[in-house]
Amino acid sequence: MIPSYYQHFCPVKILSGNKAVSNIPFEMNAMGCKKAMIVTDKGVIDAGLINIVKEAFADSDRQIGYIFDETPPDSSNRMVNKLAKLFEKLSCDCFVAVGGGSALDTAKGANIVVSEGTDDILKLQGNEIIKKDLKPMIAVPTTSGTGSEVTKVAVIYNEEKNLKMSFVSDKLYPRIAVLDPRMTMTVPSKLTAATGMDALTHAIEAYTCIQKNPIDDIFARAAIELVRKYLVRATENGSDDEARLGMANASLFAGIAFSNSMVGMVHSLAHAAGGVCHLPHGIANAIFLPYGLEYNIAKVPQSIAEISGMLGGSIDYMEPEEQASVTVSMVKNLLKKLNRISGLPIRLKDAGVAEDKLPAIAKAAINDGSLVFNPVEMDYEEALSVLKRAY
Amino acid sequence: MLSIQKGVRVFRGLPFYPVLQNRVKYTFCSIVLSVLGSAFEVVSKRAPEFNDEISTWEDGRRFAIGILSRGPYITLEKRGDAIRFLGKGLLSPEISMFFKNLDAAIPVFLGLKGSFQVFAENGMIVDGNLSHTMEVNRVANIVNAYLFPGIMLKNVLKRTPRFNLLQLTVKARVYIELMPAFLWHAARN
Repeated sequence: MIPSYYQHFCPVKILSGNKAVSNIPFEMNAMGCKKAMIVTDKGVIDAGLINIVKEAFADSDRQIGYIFDETPPDSSNRMVNKLAKLFEKLSCDCFVAVGGGSALDTAKGANIVVSEGTDDILKLQGNEIIKKDLKPMIAVPTTSGTGSEVTKVAVIYNEEKNLKMSFVSDKLYPRIAVLDPRMTMTVPSKLTAATGMDALTHAIEAYTCIQKNPIDDIFARAAIELVRKYLVRATENGSDDEARLGMANASLFAGIAFSNSMVGMVHSLAHAAGGVCHLPHGIANAIFLPYGLEYNIAKVPQSIAEISGMLGGSIDYMEPEEQASVTVSMVKNLLKKLNRISGLPIRLKDAGVAEDKLPAIAKAAINDGSLVFNPVEMDYEEALSVLKRAY
Repeated sequence: MLSIQKGVRVFRGLPFYPVLQNRVKYTFCSIVLSVLGSAFEVVSKRAPEFNDEISTWEDGRRFAIGILSRGPYITLEKRGDAIRFLGKGLLSPEISMFFKNLDAAIPVFLGLKGSFQVFAENGMIVDGNLSHTMEVNRVANIVNAYLFPGIMLKNVLKRTPRFNLLQLTVKARVYIELMPAFLWHAARN
């Protein structure tokens, strides 16, 4: 069904394939940039991935201004402000973010601070508040899940308030996304599973929430089908470069889908669990996804039912509610499989969340902006009930 | 019938028509926003669930609702255990919820569509702390539940509330007190 009104926007140039990173200096030149601020984290340095980027610059006249490797697991307002100051001090003219969602979001956050000429990222929280064009940004994801390389969202952790805050703007899209299978080859099995479930959650929520539209449905479908084909393969065998590139593309397609269609209650709960007890985002999404689908079945049975086909199930001419239950079972089966292969936790208890934190998570979840896009309303008691079931 | 349609077409072709149409829309939205501002005040004094919701808000939290780019806007503030309608305009709000244009706001003001739907259709933007905006959104839903007749609530809210006898009494009181509150604010502004 065509919605009464929708918008779709994705201005990101995509470079996907073997040795794609080698094209970064050429693309910088095309954008008129000379000196890059590379934003990454210690994990990327330790895995030697930054050397792939350095090699790309070695035979080029483009420069690396600085390699900022202090990105924390949850991108924070303090770190974003620090990076912005450094960017200006070193007269860099573009960001190259190499890492997972945190590195990419840190670069996006610092880009806001630099371009808007402010001193604190928190002054610009909200949706579509950013007015100035941002500096060019090249995103090189080293995990396949966040989709941040093609999204207009940056999630920054507010250290003072213990909250994850969302910044949403069309200006936040990176100029270029670089998918190179070499960059995800070293991701451990459990993280591959968690980030893959993150991508699947993006695609499924984009496909089932109230801002869905026909263009993003295409991306969401493609993402779900790629996850079905490659997630278990990439988790079982990290050096399977076809599976790695497949998952990188799944993550990117899901990113395009959810950047326009947005996400729902699964993300509200995951953001809250991340803020309250630092539960990694991919693991949180993996845990909450089946419960979120069950919660929404009564309102959007048809959309949820259709997903079973994308996940490889047969369409048995059942009623939408029954077929939607098949989708939930398939997601649960996928989680069990990933749990067996990689040890991915599929209950909050197994992920180390203390039971006494559930009320705080529920309280934070109902204040998360993603909830606006969920098809069904969720109040505090209902959020707590979902959390208890997922515990 | 054809002659009426022709007359409408001719009227719409007149040079002053777009300005007149916009003036009418603006005036309608301005009146509805004033009613809404008064409704926030009245409901906040009467509905226990509203009081529960704002009990954690810091005193003096200001929020605005309005329409880009020339208004109208209203600003409200939490004071004590109730909401005060400060008046028209943007009076240093901490959180603002803006419709992108008059056409995006009118279906919501007529009870044909919920703000969640307009948000999903990219017809609204928010400025300020997003978690505070969600709190404002929840109290706005409570106000809508008391303001709109039951038959319209399925358009306005994702889930239609089931009111008990006490809440129905509160709803009746809201209707009774709304007009004097609106007139008082209209006179003041």
